Amino acid sequence: MSNLNELDIQSLLSGYEKKQFTVTQVAESCLKTIAEKNPKLNALLEVSSEKVMARAKELDGQSSSAGKLKLYGVPVAIKDNFLVKGWQCTAGSKILEEYRSPYTATSVKRLEEAGALIIGKANCDEFAMGSSNETSAYGPCRNPWDLERVPGGSSGGSAAAVAASMCPASLGTDTGGSIRQPASLCGLVGVKPSYGRVSRYGIVSYASSLDQVGPFSQTVWDSARLLEVMSGFDPHDATTSKAAVPDFAQSLRETDLSQVTLGVAPSWLEGVDSDVKKAFDSSIEALKKSGAKVVEVDLPRTRYSLSVYYLIAPSEASSNLARYDGVHYGFRAKDFTDSETLYNRSRGQGFGKEVKLRIMLGTYALSAGYYDAFYLKATQVRRLIQQDFEDAFKKCDAILTQLLLQPLSS
Amino acid sequence: MLTKEEVLKIARLARLELTDAEVAFYQNRLGRVLDYMTELKGIETHGATSVRHVPLDSEKFRKDEAVNFPDKEALLKNAPALEEGGFLLPAIMETE
Repeated sequence: MSNLNELDIQSLLSGYEKKQFTVTQVAESCLKTIAEKNPKLNALLEVSSEKVMARAKELDGQSSSAGKLKLYGVPVAIKDNFLVKGWQCTAGSKILEEYRSPYTATSVKRLEEAGALIIGKANCDEFAMGSSNETSAYGPCRNPWDLERVPGGSSGGSAAAVAASMCPASLGTDTGGSIRQPASLCGLVGVKPSYGRVSRYGIVSYASSLDQVGPFSQTVWDSARLLEVMSGFDPHDATTSKAAVPDFAQSLRETDLSQVTLGVAPSWLEGVDSDVKKAFDSSIEALKKSGAKVVEVDLPRTRYSLSVYYLIAPSEASSNLARYDGVHYGFRAKDFTDSETLYNRSRGQGFGKEVKLRIMLGTYALSAGYYDAFYLKATQVRRLIQQDFEDAFKKCDAILTQLLLQPLSS
Repeated sequence: MLTKEEVLKIARLARLELTDAEVAFYQNRLGRVLDYMTELKGIETHGATSVRHVPLDSEKFRKDEAVNFPDKEALLKNAPALEEGGFLLPAIMETE
């Protein structure tokens, strides 16, 4: 049998049910791996052996729940922009260095109620702004497959922790690719669910019309299980959908690809590296062999996505990040004589380079005289991009795409 | 490229104190990003306005009820400076 820290969720659940090992043994194995690998990877920013072992003991005390609770004894790392009561929540920023979470995010609470055990808080780009984990105020996280390369971002630590077998699963957030891209760069399954599927209550807001919570895991089944536990209406997040949550993991077994039509957008492959193209084409061949029908789709206005994203996300961020004022919580600059200087100096010193860039971009786009030309225009083009997707989904059930145009150089 | 004054104006609106080096950096970076965005100007949007990103079955209106957070102490503990259970700020009125 593999080491306990290397088991996926499905294997862990079946092992617990057969009483092959205890939660304490699994937790010890994960903590040992963290102690060995984290100094080099910097994937986890806070690990508390004390909290982990206490929770493991509690779960071992209710071992009759094995086989009943959907995530009994499953260790999960949580991106450091989620609140988990008693744990830190820095969002990768100096401005929240001393912050202690007063309550637990709904998504994490649901995992805990299903028997999961929180193993640590994962490194990330500052306020989830970045795609390499290099904007974290606590140092970059490295890719476990090659320490000279980045794990992707912004949920880089969440991806690296699972890829390094520190734990079988983790949570991240995705605003403009922050789960999908690191999952790809670390060789994992990552899911950015539909907007409204998972509550954002208790996560640090970046761009509220885009932010979503999602899982990382070794297998599709594992992500399906995590997602079904977290999904569903939450009175604390008015954007959550009231639609019933099906048993995602169960429905995987019922999928027959001969009934499935997949779309490929040739324009998305323009400028793609030949190795990436080769890998993408071989995936399509494999899906075709499994019975899927592949059709071409055209989404002409998705070429404006980057501009639209860089107007909408920073605009919302400039508003969301106004709460970091050096008064209510977090970092406060040392020397000031009046309130204005206190705000400006605390924010100027507490935020990193990229965060300040995006706050200013958003402030500019929302300011008098520019609102119509930038923000309003971006929201209109977003509606057109949405229309392109709605049209494409009339022809197919899902659209396939590569994550990046080029492989990452070291 | 934005002027130094433009960057300082945006920074003032955003409540950010910048060093001289940062002002120079953002003159260039902000200018470059904003130039890129001008590609949106030419797109015909036919007055498209409704951005449908919230699920149709989500709660449109809920009762506006105040609920006390159960652990006030935990919230206040995160503040950099407190006095008598309130957030401490520099005085805004001069005392005689």
